[in-house]
Amino acid sequence: MVALRNEPKSEPTEKWEAQLRKGCLELAILACLWEKRLYGLEILRGLEQNSNLVLAEGTVYPILARLKEDGLLQSEWVESDAGHPRKYYWLTASGRQRAVSMGHVWNSFAANLNSLLQPVLNGKGRS
Amino acid sequence: MTSNPMIESYFAALTTQLSDLPQPKRDEVIRELRAHVFDRLEQIAVPTDDDCRTVLTAMGTPVEIARQYRVELLLNRSAWKISPWSLLRTLFRWTLTGIQGYVVLVLAMLGYTVGACLYITALLKPLFPRHIGLFVSEQGINLARFPDPPPGMEVLGAYYIPFAVLLGFLFTLGTTLAIRFVVRKFGRLKQKVTGLAASA
Repeated sequence: MVALRNEPKSEPTEKWEAQLRKGCLELAILACLWEKRLYGLEILRGLEQNSNLVLAEGTVYPILARLKEDGLLQSEWVESDAGHPRKYYWLTASGRQRAVSMGHVWNSFAANLNSLLQPVLNGKGRS
Repeated sequence: MTSNPMIESYFAALTTQLSDLPQPKRDEVIRELRAHVFDRLEQIAVPTDDDCRTVLTAMGTPVEIARQYRVELLLNRSAWKISPWSLLRTLFRWTLTGIQGYVVLVLAMLGYTVGACLYITALLKPLFPRHIGLFVSEQGINLARFPDPPPGMEVLGAYYIPFAVLLGFLFTLGTTLAIRFVVRKFGRLKQKVTGLAASA
Protein backbone atom coordinates (compact mmCIF):
# COMPACT_ATOMS: atom_id res chain seq x y z
CA MET A 1 0.00 0.00 0.00
CA VAL A 2 2.75 2.45 0.96
CA ALA A 3 4.62 1.81 -2.26
CA LEU A 4 1.60 2.90 -4.26
CA ARG A 5 1.77 6.41 -2.92
CA ASN A 6 4.64 7.65 -5.03
CA GLU A 7 3.57 6.02 -8.24
CA PRO A 8 2.89 8.36 -11.16
CA LYS A 9 -0.76 9.07 -11.84
CA SER A 10 -2.39 6.18 -13.61
CA GLU A 11 -4.71 6.69 -16.52
CA PRO A 12 -7.97 6.20 -14.55
CA THR A 13 -6.74 8.75 -12.00
CA GLU A 14 -6.12 11.27 -14.74
CA LYS A 15 -9.55 10.68 -16.19
CA TRP A 16 -11.16 11.13 -12.81
CA GLU A 17 -9.17 14.31 -12.24
CA ALA A 18 -10.32 15.73 -15.58
CA GLN A 19 -13.95 15.05 -14.67
CA LEU A 20 -13.48 16.59 -11.27
CA ARG A 21 -12.00 19.76 -12.78
CA LYS A 22 -14.80 19.95 -15.27
CA GLY A 23 -17.41 19.63 -12.55
CA CYS A 24 -15.85 22.42 -10.50
CA LEU A 25 -15.33 24.83 -13.37
CA GLU A 26 -18.82 26.28 -13.14
CA LEU A 27 -18.45 27.15 -9.47
CA ALA A 28 -14.96 28.58 -10.06
CA ILE A 29 -16.24 30.83 -12.85
CA LEU A 30 -19.07 32.14 -10.68
CA ALA A 31 -16.55 32.78 -7.89
CA CYS A 32 -14.23 34.69 -10.24
CA LEU A 33 -17.05 37.05 -11.12
CA TRP A 34 -18.05 37.71 -7.51
CA GLU A 35 -16.06 40.96 -7.16
CA LYS A 36 -16.48 42.59 -10.55
CA ARG A 37 -17.34 42.16 -14.20
CA LEU A 38 -14.67 40.46 -16.30
CA TYR A 39 -14.15 39.35 -19.88
CA GLY A 40 -13.28 35.79 -20.90
CA LEU A 41 -9.52 36.09 -20.78
CA GLU A 42 -9.58 37.78 -17.38
CA ILE A 43 -11.72 34.96 -16.04
CA LEU A 44 -9.19 32.50 -17.46
CA ARG A 45 -6.33 34.35 -15.78
CA GLY A 46 -8.23 34.27 -12.50
CA LEU A 47 -8.71 30.53 -12.86
CA GLU A 48 -5.04 29.98 -13.75
CA GLN A 49 -3.83 31.94 -10.74
CA ASN A 50 -5.99 30.30 -8.14
CA SER A 51 -6.33 26.78 -9.40
CA ASN A 52 -5.36 24.66 -12.33
CA LEU A 53 -8.88 23.97 -13.39
CA VAL A 54 -8.64 24.73 -17.07
CA LEU A 55 -7.43 22.16 -19.55
CA ALA A 56 -8.14 23.89 -22.86
CA GLU A 57 -8.81 27.63 -22.73
CA GLY A 58 -11.67 27.33 -25.18
CA THR A 59 -13.71 25.27 -22.71
CA VAL A 60 -14.51 28.34 -20.61
CA TYR A 61 -16.49 30.06 -23.35
CA PRO A 62 -19.18 27.39 -23.92
CA ILE A 63 -19.75 27.27 -20.16
CA LEU A 64 -20.07 31.07 -20.02
CA ALA A 65 -22.61 30.86 -22.84
CA ARG A 66 -24.68 28.30 -20.95
CA LEU A 67 -24.51 30.17 -17.64
CA LYS A 68 -25.84 33.17 -19.53
CA GLU A 69 -28.65 31.11 -21.09
CA ASP A 70 -29.52 29.90 -17.61
CA GLY A 71 -29.84 33.50 -16.44
CA LEU A 72 -26.93 33.33 -13.98
CA LEU A 73 -24.77 35.75 -15.98
CA GLN A 74 -25.37 38.84 -18.02
CA SER A 75 -23.00 40.10 -20.71
CA GLU A 76 -22.17 43.19 -22.71
CA TRP A 77 -19.68 44.13 -25.42
CA VAL A 78 -17.39 46.95 -24.33
CA GLU A 79 -14.90 48.84 -26.53
CA SER A 80 -11.32 48.56 -25.32
CA ASP A 81 -7.98 50.28 -25.91
CA ALA A 82 -6.81 47.14 -27.68
CA GLY A 83 -8.81 48.14 -30.75
CA HIS A 84 -11.49 45.46 -30.49
CA PRO A 85 -14.45 45.12 -28.17
CA ARG A 86 -14.50 42.54 -25.38
CA LYS A 87 -17.44 40.68 -24.01
CA TYR A 88 -17.79 41.36 -20.29
CA TYR A 89 -19.75 39.12 -17.96
CA TRP A 90 -21.25 39.77 -14.56
CA LEU A 91 -23.38 37.87 -12.07
CA THR A 92 -27.14 38.36 -12.00
CA ALA A 93 -29.04 38.16 -8.71
CA SER A 94 -29.78 34.49 -9.30
CA GLY A 95 -26.14 33.96 -10.28
CA ARG A 96 -25.10 35.34 -6.88
CA GLN A 97 -27.58 33.07 -5.15
CA ARG A 98 -26.30 30.09 -7.11
CA ALA A 99 -22.68 30.90 -6.24
CA VAL A 100 -23.52 31.04 -2.53
CA SER A 101 -25.49 27.81 -2.50
CA MET A 102 -22.89 25.96 -4.59
CA GLY A 103 -20.17 27.33 -2.29
CA HIS A 104 -21.97 25.91 0.76
CA VAL A 105 -22.38 22.53 -0.90
CA TRP A 106 -18.70 22.53 -1.84
CA ASN A 107 -17.57 23.44 1.67
CA SER A 108 -19.48 20.73 3.47
CA PHE A 109 -18.61 18.22 0.77
CA ALA A 110 -14.90 19.01 0.95
CA ALA A 111 -14.91 18.92 4.77
CA ASN A 112 -16.58 15.51 4.85
CA LEU A 113 -14.28 14.08 2.23
CA ASN A 114 -11.20 15.49 3.96
CA SER A 115 -12.07 13.82 7.24
CA LEU A 116 -12.67 10.56 5.38
CA LEU A 117 -9.31 10.90 3.69
CA GLN A 118 -7.30 11.63 6.82
CA PRO A 119 -6.35 8.00 7.56
CA VAL A 120 -5.69 7.35 3.86
CA LEU A 121 -3.26 10.20 3.45
CA ASN A 122 -1.54 9.76 6.81
CA GLY A 123 -0.50 6.34 5.68
CA LYS A 124 -1.23 4.85 9.09
CA GLY A 125 -3.27 1.78 9.89
CA ARG A 126 -3.37 -1.19 7.55
CA SER A 127 -0.33 -1.51 5.34
CA MET B 1 -5.02 44.02 -35.02
CA THR B 2 -2.84 41.35 -36.55
CA SER B 3 -4.13 38.70 -38.83
CA ASN B 4 -2.53 35.47 -39.87
CA PRO B 5 -3.53 32.71 -42.32
CA MET B 6 -3.31 30.17 -39.52
CA ILE B 7 -5.77 32.12 -37.39
CA GLU B 8 -8.08 32.67 -40.34
CA SER B 9 -8.19 28.98 -41.19
CA TYR B 10 -8.79 28.15 -37.53
CA PHE B 11 -11.85 30.39 -37.42
CA ALA B 12 -13.04 29.19 -40.81
CA ALA B 13 -12.94 25.64 -39.43
CA LEU B 14 -14.72 26.72 -36.26
CA THR B 15 -17.45 28.46 -38.27
CA THR B 16 -18.03 25.26 -40.23
CA GLN B 17 -18.09 23.17 -37.06
CA LEU B 18 -20.61 25.51 -35.44
CA SER B 19 -22.93 25.46 -38.45
CA ASP B 20 -25.81 24.03 -36.42
CA LEU B 21 -25.89 27.02 -34.09
CA PRO B 22 -28.23 29.84 -35.15
CA GLN B 23 -26.32 32.46 -37.15
CA PRO B 24 -26.39 35.36 -34.61
CA LYS B 25 -25.17 33.09 -31.85
CA ARG B 26 -22.44 31.68 -34.07
CA ASP B 27 -21.23 35.15 -35.06
CA GLU B 28 -21.07 36.14 -31.43
CA VAL B 29 -19.06 33.05 -30.50
CA ILE B 30 -16.56 33.68 -33.30
CA ARG B 31 -16.26 37.33 -32.32
CA GLU B 32 -15.63 36.47 -28.70
CA LEU B 33 -13.00 33.82 -29.43
CA ARG B 34 -11.29 36.13 -31.92
CA ALA B 35 -11.06 38.79 -29.22
CA HIS B 36 -9.47 36.15 -27.00
CA VAL B 37 -6.86 35.23 -29.60
CA PHE B 38 -6.02 38.87 -30.33
CA ASP B 39 -5.70 39.62 -26.63
CA ARG B 40 -3.35 36.70 -26.21
CA LEU B 41 -1.21 37.90 -29.13
CA GLU B 42 -1.34 41.52 -27.98
CA GLN B 43 1.53 41.02 -25.58
CA ILE B 44 3.83 40.03 -28.45
CA ALA B 45 5.02 42.83 -30.71
CA VAL B 46 5.30 40.83 -33.93
CA PRO B 47 3.61 37.45 -33.53
CA THR B 48 5.23 34.65 -35.48
CA ASP B 49 3.49 31.53 -36.76
CA ASP B 50 4.78 29.72 -33.71
CA ASP B 51 3.16 32.25 -31.40
CA CYS B 52 -0.15 31.85 -33.22
CA ARG B 53 0.13 28.09 -33.05
CA THR B 54 0.76 28.21 -29.30
CA VAL B 55 -2.27 30.42 -28.71
CA LEU B 56 -4.55 28.30 -30.89
CA THR B 57 -3.33 25.05 -29.35
CA ALA B 58 -4.02 26.39 -25.87
CA MET B 59 -7.52 27.23 -27.05
CA GLY B 60 -8.36 23.68 -28.17
CA THR B 61 -9.32 22.32 -31.58
CA PRO B 62 -12.36 23.74 -33.46
CA VAL B 63 -13.97 20.29 -33.30
CA GLU B 64 -13.63 20.14 -29.54
CA ILE B 65 -14.86 23.69 -28.94
CA ALA B 66 -17.84 23.21 -31.25
CA ARG B 67 -18.68 19.96 -29.49
CA GLN B 68 -18.72 21.72 -26.15
CA TYR B 69 -20.95 24.50 -27.38
CA ARG B 70 -23.30 21.87 -28.71
CA VAL B 71 -23.28 19.99 -25.42
CA GLU B 72 -23.81 23.13 -23.34
CA LEU B 73 -26.33 24.91 -25.53
CA LEU B 74 -28.31 22.53 -27.66
CA LEU B 75 -28.61 18.94 -26.69
CA ASN B 76 -28.85 19.69 -22.97
CA ARG B 77 -31.72 22.01 -23.60
CA SER B 78 -33.65 20.04 -26.15
CA ALA B 79 -33.55 17.05 -23.85
CA TRP B 80 -35.81 19.02 -21.53
CA LYS B 81 -37.58 21.37 -23.86
CA ILE B 82 -40.97 20.48 -25.21
CA SER B 83 -40.85 22.55 -28.40
CA PRO B 84 -41.25 20.20 -31.38
CA TRP B 85 -39.07 22.51 -33.43
CA SER B 86 -35.98 22.27 -31.23
CA LEU B 87 -36.49 18.52 -30.80
CA LEU B 88 -36.66 18.03 -34.57
CA ARG B 89 -33.51 20.10 -34.99
CA THR B 90 -31.65 17.92 -32.54
CA LEU B 91 -32.92 14.83 -34.31
CA PHE B 92 -31.91 16.26 -37.64
CA ARG B 93 -28.33 16.53 -36.44
CA TRP B 94 -28.50 12.94 -35.27
CA THR B 95 -29.41 11.73 -38.71
CA LEU B 96 -25.94 12.79 -39.78
CA THR B 97 -24.41 10.37 -37.31
CA GLY B 98 -26.18 7.18 -38.26
CA ILE B 99 -29.17 5.17 -39.35
CA GLN B 100 -30.83 5.05 -35.90
CA GLY B 101 -31.08 8.83 -35.88
CA TYR B 102 -32.68 8.71 -39.30
CA VAL B 103 -35.29 6.16 -38.23
CA VAL B 104 -36.17 8.20 -35.14
CA LEU B 105 -36.48 11.35 -37.26
CA VAL B 106 -38.84 9.67 -39.73
CA LEU B 107 -41.01 8.31 -36.92
CA ALA B 108 -41.06 11.73 -35.24
CA MET B 109 -42.09 13.47 -38.46
CA LEU B 110 -44.80 10.87 -38.93
CA GLY B 111 -46.12 11.43 -35.40
CA TYR B 112 -46.19 15.21 -35.84
CA THR B 113 -47.74 14.95 -39.30
CA VAL B 114 -50.61 12.80 -38.02
CA GLY B 115 -51.13 15.26 -35.18
CA ALA B 116 -51.13 18.21 -37.59
CA CYS B 117 -53.59 16.47 -39.96
CA LEU B 118 -56.00 15.88 -37.08
CA TYR B 119 -55.88 19.57 -36.15
CA ILE B 120 -56.54 20.50 -39.78
CA THR B 121 -59.59 18.22 -40.02
CA ALA B 122 -60.96 19.82 -36.84
CA LEU B 123 -60.53 23.26 -38.41
CA LEU B 124 -62.17 22.21 -41.67
CA LYS B 125 -65.07 20.30 -40.12
CA PRO B 126 -67.43 23.34 -39.99
CA LEU B 127 -66.74 24.01 -43.68
CA PHE B 128 -67.16 20.41 -44.91
CA PRO B 129 -69.51 18.77 -42.38
CA ARG B 130 -70.40 15.97 -44.81
CA HIS B 131 -66.81 15.17 -45.78
CA ILE B 132 -65.07 15.22 -42.43
CA GLY B 133 -66.02 13.27 -39.33
CA LEU B 134 -65.74 9.83 -37.80
CA PHE B 135 -67.27 7.59 -40.46
CA VAL B 136 -67.82 3.96 -39.50
CA SER B 137 -68.60 1.42 -42.20
CA GLU B 138 -67.99 -2.24 -42.93
CA GLN B 139 -64.70 -1.34 -44.61
CA GLY B 140 -63.41 0.31 -41.46
CA ILE B 141 -63.03 3.81 -40.07
CA ASN B 142 -62.62 6.96 -42.18
CA LEU B 143 -61.94 10.50 -41.08
CA ALA B 144 -62.17 12.44 -44.32
CA ARG B 145 -62.44 11.99 -48.05
CA PHE B 146 -62.72 14.28 -51.06
CA PRO B 147 -64.47 14.89 -53.38
CA ASP B 148 -67.03 12.20 -52.40
CA PRO B 149 -67.87 11.87 -48.69
CA PRO B 150 -66.50 8.70 -47.04
CA PRO B 151 -68.76 5.64 -46.86
CA GLY B 152 -70.67 4.72 -43.71
CA MET B 153 -72.34 6.66 -40.91
CA GLU B 154 -70.85 9.75 -39.35
CA VAL B 155 -71.14 9.07 -35.64
CA LEU B 156 -69.82 12.16 -33.86
CA GLY B 157 -71.39 15.20 -35.54
CA ALA B 158 -70.15 18.47 -34.04
CA TYR B 159 -68.35 16.47 -31.32
CA TYR B 160 -65.84 15.55 -33.99
CA ILE B 161 -64.04 18.87 -33.39
CA PRO B 162 -63.09 18.33 -29.73
CA PHE B 163 -62.43 14.67 -30.55
CA ALA B 164 -59.95 15.53 -33.34
CA VAL B 165 -58.27 18.25 -31.28
CA LEU B 166 -57.80 15.89 -28.36
CA LEU B 167 -56.51 13.08 -30.55
CA GLY B 168 -54.16 15.48 -32.37
CA PHE B 169 -52.88 16.76 -29.05
CA LEU B 170 -52.28 13.21 -27.81
CA PHE B 171 -50.29 12.42 -30.96
CA THR B 172 -48.17 15.57 -30.64
CA LEU B 173 -47.58 15.05 -26.94
CA GLY B 174 -46.84 11.34 -27.35
CA THR B 175 -44.32 12.01 -30.12
CA THR B 176 -42.64 14.78 -28.11
CA LEU B 177 -42.35 12.66 -24.98
CA ALA B 178 -41.01 9.74 -27.01
CA ILE B 179 -38.32 11.92 -28.64
CA ARG B 180 -37.36 13.47 -25.34
CA PHE B 181 -37.00 10.03 -23.88
CA VAL B 182 -34.85 8.83 -26.76
CA VAL B 183 -32.69 11.97 -26.77
CA ARG B 184 -32.11 11.79 -23.05
CA LYS B 185 -31.49 8.07 -23.04
CA PHE B 186 -29.24 7.80 -26.05
CA GLY B 187 -28.19 11.38 -26.81
CA ARG B 188 -25.49 11.51 -24.20
CA LEU B 189 -24.23 8.09 -25.12
CA LYS B 190 -23.94 9.14 -28.73
CA GLN B 191 -22.10 12.29 -27.70
CA LYS B 192 -19.65 10.30 -25.67
CA VAL B 193 -18.95 8.07 -28.62
CA THR B 194 -18.43 10.92 -31.07
CA GLY B 195 -16.46 12.79 -28.43
CA LEU B 196 -14.07 9.89 -28.04
CA ALA B 197 -13.76 9.54 -31.78
CA ALA B 198 -12.91 13.24 -32.04
CA SER B 199 -10.27 13.12 -29.33
CA ALA B 200 -8.70 9.90 -30.61
